[in-house]
Amino acid sequence: MANRTIPRLLQTPAVLLLLVWMLVPLGMTLFYSFIRYVLNSTVRPEWTTPSWSNWRGFGNYEFVLNSKDFLFAIKNSLFIVGSILSLTVVLGVLIAVLINRSFPGRGIVRVLLISPFFVMPAVNAVLWINMLLDPVLGLQGIAVGAINDMAAGMQDAPLVGWFFNLWPVLEPISFRATQTSAIAVIMMVTWQWTPFAVLIFMTSLQSEDQQQKEAAVLDGASRWSQFRFLTLPHLGRPMAIVVMIQAIFHLSLYAEIEIVSRGNGNKNLPYLIGEFTNNNIGAASATGIFAVILANIVAIFLLRAVGKTLME
Amino acid sequence: MAIVATTSRFSKIAWPTLAWVVALIFFFPIFYMVLTSFKTDADAVKPEFLFSFTPTLENYANMTENYDYWRFATNSVITSVLATLFALAVGVPCAYAMAFNPSRATKDVLMWMLSTKMLPAAAVLYPMTFLTKNVFGVFDTHFLVILVLCLINLPIVIWMLFTYFKDIPKDIIEAGKMDGLTTWGEVKEILIPLAWGGIVSTALLTFIFCWNEAYWTVRLTTIDAATLSKLIEGNRAPEGLFFGRLSAVSTAAVGPIIVLGWFCQKQLVSGLTFGAVK
Amino acid sequence: MGSIVLDKVQKKFGDVEVIPPLDLEINDGEFVVFVGPSGCGKSTLLRMIAGLEDLTAGKVNIDDNDVTEVSPAKRGLSMVFQSYALYPHMTVRKNIAFPMRMAKVPQDVQDAKIEAAAKSLNLADYLDRKPGQLSGGQRQRVAIGRAIVREPSAFLFDEPLSNLDAALRVGMRLEIMELHTKLKTTMIYVTHDQVEAMTMADKIVVLQAGVIEQVGSPLELYHTPRNKFVAGFIGSPKMNLIEGEEASKHDATTIGIRPEHVSVSTTEGMWKGTVGVAEHLGSDTFIHVHNTGLDTGEGDLFTVRISGDIAVSHGDTVYLTPQMDQLHKFDAQGLRIA
Ligand SMILES: Nc1ncnc2c1ncn2[C@@H]1O[C@H](COP(=O)(O)OP(=O)(O)OP(=O)(O)O)[C@@H](O)[C@H]1O
Ligand SMILES: [Mg+2]
Repeated sequence: MANRTIPRLLQTPAVLLLLVWMLVPLGMTLFYSFIRYVLNSTVRPEWTTPSWSNWRGFGNYEFVLNSKDFLFAIKNSLFIVGSILSLTVVLGVLIAVLINRSFPGRGIVRVLLISPFFVMPAVNAVLWINMLLDPVLGLQGIAVGAINDMAAGMQDAPLVGWFFNLWPVLEPISFRATQTSAIAVIMMVTWQWTPFAVLIFMTSLQSEDQQQKEAAVLDGASRWSQFRFLTLPHLGRPMAIVVMIQAIFHLSLYAEIEIVSRGNGNKNLPYLIGEFTNNNIGAASATGIFAVILANIVAIFLLRAVGKTLME
Repeated sequence: MAIVATTSRFSKIAWPTLAWVVALIFFFPIFYMVLTSFKTDADAVKPEFLFSFTPTLENYANMTENYDYWRFATNSVITSVLATLFALAVGVPCAYAMAFNPSRATKDVLMWMLSTKMLPAAAVLYPMTFLTKNVFGVFDTHFLVILVLCLINLPIVIWMLFTYFKDIPKDIIEAGKMDGLTTWGEVKEILIPLAWGGIVSTALLTFIFCWNEAYWTVRLTTIDAATLSKLIEGNRAPEGLFFGRLSAVSTAAVGPIIVLGWFCQKQLVSGLTFGAVK
Repeated sequence: MGSIVLDKVQKKFGDVEVIPPLDLEINDGEFVVFVGPSGCGKSTLLRMIAGLEDLTAGKVNIDDNDVTEVSPAKRGLSMVFQSYALYPHMTVRKNIAFPMRMAKVPQDVQDAKIEAAAKSLNLADYLDRKPGQLSGGQRQRVAIGRAIVREPSAFLFDEPLSNLDAALRVGMRLEIMELHTKLKTTMIYVTHDQVEAMTMADKIVVLQAGVIEQVGSPLELYHTPRNKFVAGFIGSPKMNLIEGEEASKHDATTIGIRPEHVSVSTTEGMWKGTVGVAEHLGSDTFIHVHNTGLDTGEGDLFTVRISGDIAVSHGDTVYLTPQMDQLHKFDAQGLRIA
């Protein structure tokens, strides 16, 4: 049919661009992951140029799998992503239900709530790790200091002085250590992405069947049963979608880790790839392939869910 | 309505109050950043000036001197705007063809496009660095940043446009055909006017995503094409010396985008969930 | 002028043949109605005539010109869609003017034509409104206005009234018929509404699975349906089709008798049964009779239509007597036996 050519032509640029974008770099990564390839080596200079003769088979994969860093990065990735997911979904549902009613200033509440989502990741990280969480100068330090000062000031007070004498001096937490910095990342990303979950759950709540709810009220269902048996099942699908989309985004979390954790040992997969890339390209590529596989496991489920609604 | 009748007076006051409290907590970090931006660097770390201080604009006045802010901001604007326009120029025709002349492959093509969005960027970090630095020599150029921003957002652009275009009744396009419209006429007289809202919000959202992008803009630039993400990332650890000026430059970097974001909340949902939640 | 000839037109969607090769002639000035069950290809056929759907094979001729490869706009046809398909971002005036603007008709001619169309369709007060601010009936009129101003050689309607409520439908039906009397332009009208088909058409085309079952005037179809399908499809309530022993008595595989050609008595008659549901409409009464012992394909349910009211209710025993001269006979292939 002649009129098929125009539509094809119109799609060509987009398809070609994405095809090249996807195939070329990924193909190179795949190739590098099977060869010995380092940027600097005085001992084996032949490894510094990529070539088939440096074939290493699954050697890079073995190397990566046996490296402590890799296991740590995987665990840490999963810890960070899992925590963010549970927090955002729970908070998201609660807040969405909370504001899914009409009250004065609801529009402003929405605007305030959604704002964190638009903060660029770099600013988010810098803001939290310095201004908010810094143990001395950040809000955390200031708050802890204020409480300690207050306790100290009250120690000489009559009647209640003994009470404040028993009060231990509070220690602010440093969020720049290996484990605590993961917590800091979880906090800042949860802050940023909870609004996203809220927004999606709210959209979905608005399409909830009101008549069904009214019928439930007539059937004597309590607020809690309505939530448990009508609202939560209704949110099942959006929850799945929120989880999958966030999983994909957060598996490649980078700026936050880079800013919060540089040099303190905390890392996730993208960060580890960045480290390997400084010299060992073979290992970086093998790690990259692992990251692709991990993302694809999630992506398959997401694509399936999205595909269902696509053509209606 | 029965539901209203069962609402007690307590819950009429308590829940909205709670909602306000939650909203203020979530907004507080932004508020605190804006507040700090009006303090001198010295005041910013002193507890006694937490909320009462003499506001100053010096942090904003000195943004160029301290951070060369406008250079990075200009780069952000140039790359984000051009990447958005370029993505639309490629995406509109594609989405149009897919929505109005779907073939059996259309669904698969869309899914495939989406899957490219899901590839972890880090996996191709070295090939991208190598190709842009050593092969094409475009490392740290506006061209490269624009191209990459366009490519990573293209799937979302096409998806969003596709969902908007699909909502236009096919009948209207066919009525146009009967009335004598050419393909270009269809686009100009019907598609663009009817989907204008959708196109604009797609553009806004893409712009926001480009502006906030923080992987490639950090890893594929050094100075010439560095954007605000790179600027902030480069000042990650001010050791408490420069909270005032850092807040000011951060506020300047995110303020306009937050405001833009307020205007496209609704589209955000369909854009980020690829139309799966409406 | 507006004679349309379809010559072995065929349509496949992929491997699915929706319309097997089909011939049809439509004379200038005729009002032709396509009827058939949902999914039988009415819209597809209409859209093939319009040029919105490519032909897999065959030819479309309009006024003896082969237009198979001609674009929709150049065929000189107007189409009115079920969804009205108005341009929502244009005012009524602009909507009506649109085809003329595309054809580069001079502005003063446009204005005059819009004026005339608005007057005859009672749209004069709404010309500056957008379609969103109009009622369903008004939107339909705008769609018709947009079709009229092109002065087409034929109008194509695809279920134009099915989105309207019952009362409006009757009104619009009359308006379209008046329009046809006035313009004397060929009209092709797709519907699955019995009444529309019977009242509006000069010629009805009955389709099933893309195949033309019969072409004829409404009364031809009513009185001499060519086969069982047409017999069952035309007329409301449906014709009673009886098989088995009762049919063999008439040397047929199937006999058909319309509900209105049966008389009902509480005392005597040919067949006996009990009343299931009796629908009293005032002017008519529909009686659904069970336990008739007849093989009607729906158990032994038999439907009768009586003019006026009759005092029967659920559970009553009634006797049915068909008018023998109104009996339709069909052979094993379902074809009419003369
Ligand atoms: N674009 C298409 N692709 C594949 N099949 C199609 C397409 N359009 C229509 N069909 C199929 O062709 C057949 C005829 O469709 P058509 O719309 O012509 O039916 P119709 O008689 O107008 O039905 P209705 O009374 O419900 O409008 C249907 O089985 C339909 O599923
Ligand atoms: Mg149809």
